[in-house]
Amino acid sequence: MPEGVAGTPEPIARLIEAFHKLPGIGPKSAQRLAYHVLRAPEQEVANLAVALTDVKQRITLCSTCLNITETNPCSYCQDGRRDRAIICVVEQPLDILALERSGGFRGVYHVLHGVLNPMDGVGPENLHIRELLTRLEDGEVKEVIMATNPSLEGEATAMYIQRLVSPLAVRVTRLARGLPSGADLEYTDDVTLSRALEGRQEL
Amino acid sequence: MPERPRVYKTEGVILRRRNIGEADSIFTVFSANEGKFDAIARGVRKARSRMRGHLEPLTRSRMLLAQGRTLDVFTQVETINPYRAIRDDLDRSAVALYCAELIDRFTAVHDQDRPLYAHFLDVLDALETGAPASVTRYFEIHLLDRVGYELQLDACAVCAGRLAPEDTLLSASVGGFTCTGCRPGATGGRIVSLRAMKVLRHIRTATIEEFARLRVDDSLARELEAALGDIVRYVLEQEPRTRKFMDQVASLPPRANQQETGDVVELTPRP
Repeated sequence: MPEGVAGTPEPIARLIEAFHKLPGIGPKSAQRLAYHVLRAPEQEVANLAVALTDVKQRITLCSTCLNITETNPCSYCQDGRRDRAIICVVEQPLDILALERSGGFRGVYHVLHGVLNPMDGVGPENLHIRELLTRLEDGEVKEVIMATNPSLEGEATAMYIQRLVSPLAVRVTRLARGLPSGADLEYTDDVTLSRALEGRQEL
Repeated sequence: MPERPRVYKTEGVILRRRNIGEADSIFTVFSANEGKFDAIARGVRKARSRMRGHLEPLTRSRMLLAQGRTLDVFTQVETINPYRAIRDDLDRSAVALYCAELIDRFTAVHDQDRPLYAHFLDVLDALETGAPASVTRYFEIHLLDRVGYELQLDACAVCAGRLAPEDTLLSASVGGFTCTGCRPGATGGRIVSLRAMKVLRHIRTATIEEFARLRVDDSLARELEAALGDIVRYVLEQEPRTRKFMDQVASLPPRANQQETGDVVELTPRP
């Protein structure tokens, strides 16, 4: 049922309803956005409409690493200078951008599109784990880096995959966990602090 | 319900997390003096959040909360026990999450239950210090007792008559063991071996340390798990979500140097 005062023209009511479905947009914000679109220049609105349809039509999942991409395989999987013997496993496509920004990784990726969350009913079958195992079958991959978040769910996912991979001759590593730069020792939780101590390095 | 102060302190275990908006999360906490409740932590997903690591699921924390309009807000949180050994071990994580889900499903919001809280901590402490996964059975029996589904294990649940020392029907619908004579009146249920009967009775009287020392072989463990799984499913009217995950973890290739723990304890039949 479209939100808004009775008598709102149907196209506007429909637009308000569409905006309302977006995350973090309440009924009032949806109204404001709809009326903004109404007042905006024709060209700007046309661009928005094209951008919206393009994102669904032109973006697919890479058949190898399941990253979101316009070309299949994606640019990382196509790049001949990247080391295909190392796969970095991440939760979301956005994590790849973060790792790429760091510039420290020259291997290829695998996107799980989620993380194990048994309490909410998200199990291994809801993640792209099988595709990862398929990639490991030919024996070309020497190392799998688990780059899931250091949360309970991320750790469980990393351990789950590690156990699945353990019969294969593939080294499974985990990103180091410790203090973020700018952190406060006083407020750091015990697990992070003890892991930071265990992972300490020569100065 | 009495009026709560605007700012209050409690300690509790984080049961689950839901992410909201850009950087906030809502946590479900099972606490000592407020029972189960939901509260929101603002900005907790930012790397520099001071509460971040203290609000992980399965962490026991001390917390200060401020009453909000709809949800209370975490203002300070400090870990009491991060249960790191549980979190570093997939099998134990799965079992602890199952216990957390049962707590979540069997309790009502703001329903204070200190003995149940203490029981939950006992089980987490046991798992943390290396108790076998079968302590889950101890957790289930005592949880059911606390929340009003106490099983009749010592006599027939229908006629209160004596139970013969033999394989016996355990039926959720009648609420316990059922003697051969009353069996036709019970719907559903599962025939439980005499060994399993003894273990179930032992759980009632034993401390968790005593129970954790009991060596339960694989077939007995599976039998007990299935029997109590039936009861839990009957009472909840659905399968707990974490159950499937526990089974999936159990079917993984074993970890290197995994070994059984516990001594052999003989169970003496009751007169």
